[in-house]
Amino acid sequence: MAKQYGLVIDLERCIGCHTCTVACKLENGLEAGSWITVQTIGGPHQDTPGGKHPQLSMHFLPVLCMHCDLPPCRDACPLGAIFKRVDGIVLVDEEKCDGCQECLPACPYGVLSYDVETNAVGKCTLCAHRVEKGLEPFCVTCCETEAICFGNLGDSGSSVSKVIAQRSAATLKPEAGAKPAVYYCPTRQGRIQ
Amino acid sequence: MSGSGEEKVVRTVCGIVDGVRCGILAHVRNGALVKVEPADFPDPRFRHICARALCSTQLVYHQDRLRYPLKRLGERGEGRWQRISWDEALDTIASKLTEIRAKYGHESLAWAIEVMAYIRLASALEATMINPIGFGDAAGPCGDQISYGTHYGDLYTIDFESPGMCVMWGGNFAETKPFCWRRIREAKERGAKLVAIDPRFTTSASKADEYLSIRPGTDPALVLGMINVILERELVDEYFVTAHTVGPFLVRGDNGLFLRESDIVPGGSNKYIIWDTQTNRPQAQDEEGATPALSGVYHLAGVECRPAFQLLADLAKQYPLEKASEITEVAPGTIERLAVEHTTRKPVASYRGMGLQRTFHGDLSYRAIATLAAVTGNINLEGYSEGYRRFLFNGGTILFGDRFPSPMPLLQAYEAIATGQPYPIKALWLAGHNFMNQSPDNNKVLKELVPRLEFIVVADMFMTASAQHADVVLPTCSFFEHLDLVTPIDVLSPYMQLQPKVIEPLYESKSDRDIVNELGSRMGLGEEFGLSAEAYVEAILSSGHPSVEGITLDKLKEGPVEVPPYDFTGFRTPSGRMEFYSEGMRQFGQELPVYLEPIESARQPLAKQYPLSYLSTHTKYGNHSLMANVAWLRELDAEPLLEMNPRDAEARGIKDGDMVVAFNDRGRVKLKAKIHQGIRPGAVNINEGWWHHHYAEGTHQALTHAVINPAQMAVFEPNSAMYDNLVEVKKAGEE
Repeated sequence: MAKQYGLVIDLERCIGCHTCTVACKLENGLEAGSWITVQTIGGPHQDTPGGKHPQLSMHFLPVLCMHCDLPPCRDACPLGAIFKRVDGIVLVDEEKCDGCQECLPACPYGVLSYDVETNAVGKCTLCAHRVEKGLEPFCVTCCETEAICFGNLGDSGSSVSKVIAQRSAATLKPEAGAKPAVYYCPTRQGRIQ
Repeated sequence: MSGSGEEKVVRTVCGIVDGVRCGILAHVRNGALVKVEPADFPDPRFRHICARALCSTQLVYHQDRLRYPLKRLGERGEGRWQRISWDEALDTIASKLTEIRAKYGHESLAWAIEVMAYIRLASALEATMINPIGFGDAAGPCGDQISYGTHYGDLYTIDFESPGMCVMWGGNFAETKPFCWRRIREAKERGAKLVAIDPRFTTSASKADEYLSIRPGTDPALVLGMINVILERELVDEYFVTAHTVGPFLVRGDNGLFLRESDIVPGGSNKYIIWDTQTNRPQAQDEEGATPALSGVYHLAGVECRPAFQLLADLAKQYPLEKASEITEVAPGTIERLAVEHTTRKPVASYRGMGLQRTFHGDLSYRAIATLAAVTGNINLEGYSEGYRRFLFNGGTILFGDRFPSPMPLLQAYEAIATGQPYPIKALWLAGHNFMNQSPDNNKVLKELVPRLEFIVVADMFMTASAQHADVVLPTCSFFEHLDLVTPIDVLSPYMQLQPKVIEPLYESKSDRDIVNELGSRMGLGEEFGLSAEAYVEAILSSGHPSVEGITLDKLKEGPVEVPPYDFTGFRTPSGRMEFYSEGMRQFGQELPVYLEPIESARQPLAKQYPLSYLSTHTKYGNHSLMANVAWLRELDAEPLLEMNPRDAEARGIKDGDMVVAFNDRGRVKLKAKIHQGIRPGAVNINEGWWHHHYAEGTHQALTHAVINPAQMAVFEPNSAMYDNLVEVKKAGEE
């Protein structure tokens, strides 16, 4: 299988600390917003559970560019500004992007954002600039609970591939057919839909 | 990252989060801090960083940082300031402190600080040191002082290699205690059951196998109910109770004191007496071959005597399941199951949160849980060493053995300022301690205390509520801008670390140590005020104290150094055993960990007027009032919100997002409501730390009281019971 960098996120470990969110801002110089956000699965607000007190449940779900094998955003871009590298990382070429934003609704995960200042679309680069130096994405480096693992999903012997197999990790919205490269280990209460 | 120039990476220590000191790598380019990331430790469990630390550049380069010393113009709190030089600022302070000291005595000068550098100044002036621990953290240490003879007893009940169950009592460790959470998480991943006991369904609770929603402040009743189950089912760890607690010691029925050998043998010793069931005779505690009784009544010295464990059993029998359930509002079957699991899933780690001890009788909650651990043999006798590591936390006085400050509890300082009892405090210096924002009964602080102070100095990075009420404001630098020694203050961390100067102080800011040095020299307080930061650290390291043996500045420059292990066994109580029964607490009727209703609970008469239990908890989005002005964190958590259960909201016609007012006789606060199921009916919560201007009106501390608990005062110091306050909440405009 071809090289495909990706992540496995352990939702049982994720405590919704938003450290990944801020790490992404710091590493990528994002004054507003972040390319990885943490959603609360439960109640009506961030950090609130679903159910009725005291029968409750709450989970956290980090969401970022899934670096899909078949990226719908790439297919939606009229300028060919979105491309997939040989290592599987999906990037936006800011030089080519004219800010038309046609890619935004194409993404099944809603993780592309338009930056007024650059007039271009931004998203997680899987910290390609770090990966090229042999480092992990900065969200992985900083995760408080070591809930995010980075590696080559194309190598069945890699640690990420093993975790996916052992923990029955799965992708979000497989029905969208994009073949995402971000997997989630389910919580003990079961899979996040 | 943009920008050119060579980047250097310096290892330092994060100074943001209370009680946690993570190692961080600071990236510096062209003399500016550009990035931080987590640093490694020999024990990888201590590698950690959080969202707050990752906002370091936002803190250091915040546009609102104080740039130069300021002198007040106009009235206090008016907000009019004049820029002055450091010379003028320090001359003004020196002359005012000298004047007030001459007029009211040396103890009339007071420091309320989180910055240890000032201990030297306060010592040299023999001034008053207001211990910040009374701002919410004193009751737990008070309870542990009674149970174990040390202020920090956590390692007795959490430091197990592989616990079968972890119980979190009133603490949100996932958000506030990362190293504890690491242990809990690892235990959970190895198969331990995780239980959360909390009025709120916190992040930590969301990871638990079982969540118990408890009525706030009723934990001792839950424990007594559990001990009763353990007694009824004969699951007591009799070996542990007999060998390591005061359980077998006979207690006199007439005066509640332990029976001593001298009570029954003329000219006898002070030894404790047990009843030997082998010989049916009283014996001294250390008599070989004796089999001490844990129950029964024995007539000795003309009085009825009972083993202390019998007295505990008598107390627990008053809490059958139905009654414990009625008090705590935890289901009887749950209490029963949890009790049994304390004996079937051993070792059980009891993680006691600081929230647990912020009710008026929080020390009793700590004692009760320590007692449960003792009765079930879930106490680790070998893990304890942390109190010793803490020695250097107070290391500021190492060099100044001949002069000491007068310690004063925070809540007593309220009296000292307001009434002059036991002596007047007339000058107050705050550093790293936002007294006017964070201390209980904020209206009393601002309206009754501040006007009685003749001189207020605030050293801070920002114009906080406290700085706004100061006469002189001194700009301090961040922890990236000066060298310091960082001792292991987290309950689990064994590491001494060096915080080097990573960047130069910004603007005209100075480190607190430099301020202390310059003022001390100016006031002629001694040559030691000429020591550089580095020389001062070296002086501490060469002090000869065993806790710094073998630690040098050069070693610290290479990385964190583990503090030498401490051979500590047993307990530093009067008996040398774990004391669930305390002679010293008889005068308060608290010789045992009794259950006392919280002073402001829904079952108190005041609840007719103010029916809701008000909490003000801590979160991942800040650290007290530090970081409340940091934009990246406010992007995640924009404004203060009053959390309320839908049941209570519906009863008041309050909808999610409505502007509401929470109020009681002490004050009010106006903010938006956040309605959700994560908080139990009858309780409301505001995450503390917001600055006054974040609220539409009032502040989270306007609702809290500063009532002194005399029992805590006698043992250690009274705690601020910030989770033991009644309020009513109404829609804004309808109150």
